[in-house]
Parts: sequence; C-alpha cells; structure tokens
Amino acid sequence: MNELQQELFEKQLLSISKGLDYPRTPDIAESVMVRLSSSSKSEGRPRFISRRLAWSLTVILILFSSLMLIPPARAAIIEFIQIGIVRIFRAEPTPLTPPHQEFPSTMVPVTATPGATSQPLIPILENLAGEMTLEEAQQTVNYPILLPSHPPDLGQPDRVFVQEADGDMTILVWMDPQQPDDVLMSLHLVPEGSWAIEKVSPTIIQETTVNGQRAIWAVGPYPIRFSNGNLDFVRLVDGRVLIWVEGDMTYRLETDLSLEEAINVAESLAPIR
Amino acid sequence: MDESTLVRHAANGDAAAWEPLVLAHQDAVFRLSYLLLGDPDDAEDIAQETFLRAWNHLKRFDSTRPLRPWLLSIASNLASNRRRSAGRYFAALTRAFRNEPTSSTSTEEKSAQHMEANDLWKAVRHLSIPDQQIIYLRYFLDLPVAEAAQALQVAEGTVKSRLSRALERLRGIIQQDFPVLAEGHEGREV
Repeated sequence: MNELQQELFEKQLLSISKGLDYPRTPDIAESVMVRLSSSSKSEGRPRFISRRLAWSLTVILILFSSLMLIPPARAAIIEFIQIGIVRIFRAEPTPLTPPHQEFPSTMVPVTATPGATSQPLIPILENLAGEMTLEEAQQTVNYPILLPSHPPDLGQPDRVFVQEADGDMTILVWMDPQQPDDVLMSLHLVPEGSWAIEKVSPTIIQETTVNGQRAIWAVGPYPIRFSNGNLDFVRLVDGRVLIWVEGDMTYRLETDLSLEEAINVAESLAPIR
Repeated sequence: MDESTLVRHAANGDAAAWEPLVLAHQDAVFRLSYLLLGDPDDAEDIAQETFLRAWNHLKRFDSTRPLRPWLLSIASNLASNRRRSAGRYFAALTRAFRNEPTSSTSTEEKSAQHMEANDLWKAVRHLSIPDQQIIYLRYFLDLPVAEAAQALQVAEGTVKSRLSRALERLRGIIQQDFPVLAEGHEGREV
C-alpha cells in the first residue's frame, strides 16, 4: 500500500467508524463518585481482610512461626522494618533453604540479583516465567513501567519479565556487556497487594531517601522470600538492594553499584518514551 | 477551571474536582473498553475501574499532560487483562460475537452506515490486540497520532509504523473476508 492509498484508506476508516452504533455510555461518573465516597467513609472502620492481604499475612505468620522455633532468632525476631510490601526482619541469619537449592521445574525463581549464587545467572533467567518485550510488558501491566536514564549509557533492559499471579510484578534485567553471562542490574516493580517479600537479617540495613521518600539499602547475603497466593519460594541472595516506595508501587533495585549510584539510578526513573 | 487545574485538585484528594474529569472522558473510556471487549457490562466495569485506578495514582500523573491518553492507556491495559483472564470462555464468546455482534436493533432496521461500521469493527476484531488498540485509538476514537502515542506509551514514529502495518493487515482481511465492505470503499471517491 503506497502513501496515497494509505491516506485514502485512513480517511475511509475515519468516516466509516463514525457510523458505529455504540451502546449509550452509562453514568460512569456517578458510580465512580459513589465508590470513592464509600471507600473514604469506610476508612477507619473495621474492614474485611482481602484475600491478597490474608495471603501475605499468612506467609508472614508462617515465616515468623518457623523462625521462633530457632532460639537465636527468637530474641531478635520481634524487630523488623517495613517498607512497601517488603518486610525486613532483624534476626540472626536463618537460612530458609540451602544456598544452592535446585528449583523444582514447577517453581519459578523470581529474582535476578547480581552475584546471587556462584552459578551463572543465565540458567535462572532462562527458567524465569513471563518473558516478553518491553512493549508487551507495558501493555500487560496496569501501571507505567519506569526505566532509569542513569547511567546514561544503560539503555533499555535486555530481558523483561512479567510475573502474573493476582498482580503483575515486572522484572527488568540489564546484562553486563563485558560479561554476557552476568546480570548488571535488575529492577523489580511490584504493585501493592500482589506480592509479599520477606528478608531476614541482611548484614547491612541503612535508611536513606529516594526523591525525598524513605528508602532502605540492604546488603546480603540473607535469605529472601517472595510469595503471593499462587507462588511461594525461597532463595539466598547475595546482593545490594535499594528498596523504595512511590504511591502503590514498591521498587527493588538490585545492583553492584554503590549506594550513591543506586540512588542516582532510582531517581532517574521515568516512563517509557 | 481547566483540566490541569482540576487534575491538581483531584491529586490532592478533592473528589469534587475528579467528577467533571470523569464526565469529560467517560465516553472515550467506555467506548474503547466496549470496542476491545464487545460487551457493554464488561466495558462499564472496566471504565469504572479505570477512573478509580487513575484516581489512586493521580499523584504520579504529570498534570501538564492531557488526561485522556493516560486514561485510555489504563482502560486498554485493563481490558486486555480482562480478555486474557477470561481465557477460552471469552475466546468462544468472541467468535460468537464476530458472527453476531451485540445490537439492540435488527439488521433490517440498521442504516447502511451502521452496517458498514459494524462490518469494519468485525474486520478489526480479526487483528491482534495491539493492532486493534492502535486502530481503535486512531480511527474509532479519532485520537491524533500524538495522543495515541501517549496512550500506547510509545514514540509517535512507532505509532505511524505500527499503524501502517496494522492497516496493511486490515486491508487484507477486508479484501478476503468482507468483500462487500471492500467494494463499498472502491466505489468511493474519498
């Protein structure tokens, strides 16, 4: 189809599509305002716990209970830090699984932390479910996928995954151009209410800020547990993680960069252009 | 009060400022949802959810930008998710719908223009979801390329190239499966 033909075809489409008989638009505004009003009125009142929240609480309770069985952990377990959907327990290291556990084929590892194991990360990435293009990912999830513009030569992620399980978690992975088998950096974008993440006793926990908002910088090794209603797995992570929250989203930046550089990356996030 | 002022007020929790914005954009949001889902009840659900989600995320929205593309982007994603989650059941409904689109009037009562538009819609529904999205935004909702690009969160050049490919495929479908529509076009001087 040449340019002229396309132009004519476009004019025809515009003209014909105007004749489509849509159903009358319902009063969306009224329904929305009623729902906004009822949700604001219910604030402060006892509410039914959602299924997602119940799952998160269950997972936390199980983790808490199992740690309480271990004497060294018992004294320290009461203390924890909460940021977004991530809860960091200040307990003695309590391995929840052997460091190099093989995942059953039915389970999906969901982290791509640099240096997480002594084994190359490529096989883990190959097992990660939900790989798609960045464009497809943006069409899949209901929130804007933000990309870092720092460092300037970073470019778009090499691998993109969307884990669909009662809430879409996006995982962006940048490979190291010098070491193609190594992950340079990964960014998890996790909407509220879909996933629960627990960490136990990182060696360093530091409070910092991203865009003026509270953030946590944690350095491993430490056990990490990703969980939601459909998937639940444990993995030992040895990495540096910056966690922060904006609106309903929790962001986890896993990187070998320094804290200062990681904050620069976090603060450079912007919607896909 | 202009749109960006209303958006700023709404972002600060002023629900009264959100209502005129919903009123202003509910037609476009509902229609896009309807085009993608083919069911008015589902479209209404998606439209409501779109405005509620947008309300919850208004603080992240740049109030200097037009609201409509962002709302349509949310609606499009929600509708696509609804289609996926409905799975085979929806696929069966879609096939049935292609053969017999939802209508409140009999075929005989429809004007030729409506029938032609319905045929076009049926042809578009043979395309992939991304192709459908871009055609609905650009032609059925008559969005300028710049707004379609914002709604799809891609560059304007990408919209143009994707449109070109989608139109090529649509034309092929029309010529093969909707000869009456194709004949109608060829006879026009537009």
